[in-house]
Amino acid sequence: MFGYIVPEKPELKIREYEVFKAYYCGVCKSIGRRYGQLPRFTLNYDSTFLALLLSSVSNSKTEIKRERCIAHPLKKRNVLKSTEILDYAADMNIVLAYYNLMDNWKDEKSIIGYSGALALKKAFKKINRRHGNKCRIIRENLDRLNKLEKDRCNSIDEASEPFSKLMEEIMAYEACCEDESREKILRWIGYNIGKWIYVLDAYDDLEKDVKNKTYNPLICQYEYKGGDIKDFKESILSNTEFILTYCLDQIAKSYELLGNNKNKGLIENILYQGMLKKTDQVLKYKNIKKCKTRGR
Amino acid sequence: MQNPYEVLGIREGASVEEIKRAYRELVKKYHPDQYRDNPLSDLAEKKLAEINEAYDYLMKNAGASGSSNNSSSYSRSNTGSWNSQNMNNFYVQVKMHINSGNIGAAEQMLDSTNDRSAQWYYLKGLVCLRRGWYDQARSYVQTACSMDPGNMEYRDVLNRMMNANTAYRGSVYNRGYRQDYDWCQICSTLWCLDTCCECGGCDLIECL
Repeated sequence: MFGYIVPEKPELKIREYEVFKAYYCGVCKSIGRRYGQLPRFTLNYDSTFLALLLSSVSNSKTEIKRERCIAHPLKKRNVLKSTEILDYAADMNIVLAYYNLMDNWKDEKSIIGYSGALALKKAFKKINRRHGNKCRIIRENLDRLNKLEKDRCNSIDEASEPFSKLMEEIMAYEACCEDESREKILRWIGYNIGKWIYVLDAYDDLEKDVKNKTYNPLICQYEYKGGDIKDFKESILSNTEFILTYCLDQIAKSYELLGNNKNKGLIENILYQGMLKKTDQVLKYKNIKKCKTRGR
Repeated sequence: MQNPYEVLGIREGASVEEIKRAYRELVKKYHPDQYRDNPLSDLAEKKLAEINEAYDYLMKNAGASGSSNNSSSYSRSNTGSWNSQNMNNFYVQVKMHINSGNIGAAEQMLDSTNDRSAQWYYLKGLVCLRRGWYDQARSYVQTACSMDPGNMEYRDVLNRMMNANTAYRGSVYNRGYRQDYDWCQICSTLWCLDTCCECGGCDLIECL
């Protein structure tokens, strides 16, 4: 995952910010407790959000305690006491990191990829035993994604499909999907989050991919043929923005259907503000046109 | 039945005014129009039914004056108002599949035909929209619109898609998350205000 899903800190209540940090530390501690110190370096914000959203729909009690940790030995911090969902988010974090490092090793023979994957191997094997089905589907989708990239797929929708499906699968944690409609909602949120991340990342990487001549679905779809990359980015801006905001709109609408849940303010902050802000940052929305909705 | 107060998100014993206000807000939020091209539309409908039920229950028990008017809660309007006689049977079936959420079957039917009329592009666009292929959905519906510019149904869907952007940003704004006004804007507003005031004979800021 990429760490795009973050709250908009200035708009958070301090209490909400503390809760977010407690979830972050909770996922981190969950990794440390079960798999040792090294895998903790793979932690990112997306899995924190996963833990937060899934916890909000489950009935399990959450409890915050104050603890020290290796990274911050002096001050005690709020940490969410371990739950099944925190462990699940931590596991998915490691699975994705492991597969990512493995692919780097296979494609580019990167030493970092190899040594990283080696360090995560033991943890991965444990997780594979517990969440075998999820791991298999994630692997299948990553393979499909790799194939599309090798074939230089020229449709952003098609190229983003495997990653969207992957996120859909991760979001549909069995323990939170006891009724059918909730599973449907969580899956649709996951699908749209995956798509949003993939498209955002593709747009963000345009310069880098042009320079390194690596695959980028946007370059293939809109047939970039040299010239100023800034002009190219601007020419595809409105189309990209359309996809991204459509995803956000769908996520928000799906979330509304989940009902009144825990940590509503915090999650809404992330969905309505953090993600929109990230989108605008990547699109550099403000530089190109002023936000139309400023005046009523 | 769930606690009707909980469904409407209000405290128990809320006044009739409060109930009405909460009800109006929720209907706006879960209105079928908001979820028309969304795979979760059936869930939104269910939610709306719950809200209606809760509202009817509360209004009946509140014994509010004129409650007979108020309890005529929102019911789903008939959105499928297309004229089936003028359409060939094939597309009616595709449309039925789309409306019932059977996207796979609709797509299979569309892929099986060689017809590439505006209708085909439009329905293909709807299928893409339901699957989450927004980019292709937009270009299919755009094609349909340019092939049959007079068709209000196509135009309507395209407009709704293009408006999703502004609508989403608008909803963010309405939640109170607004962007800061920059100083330039504040100053110019003050200056304008002052000028207007002076026209009226008095003065807002003396030094301007």
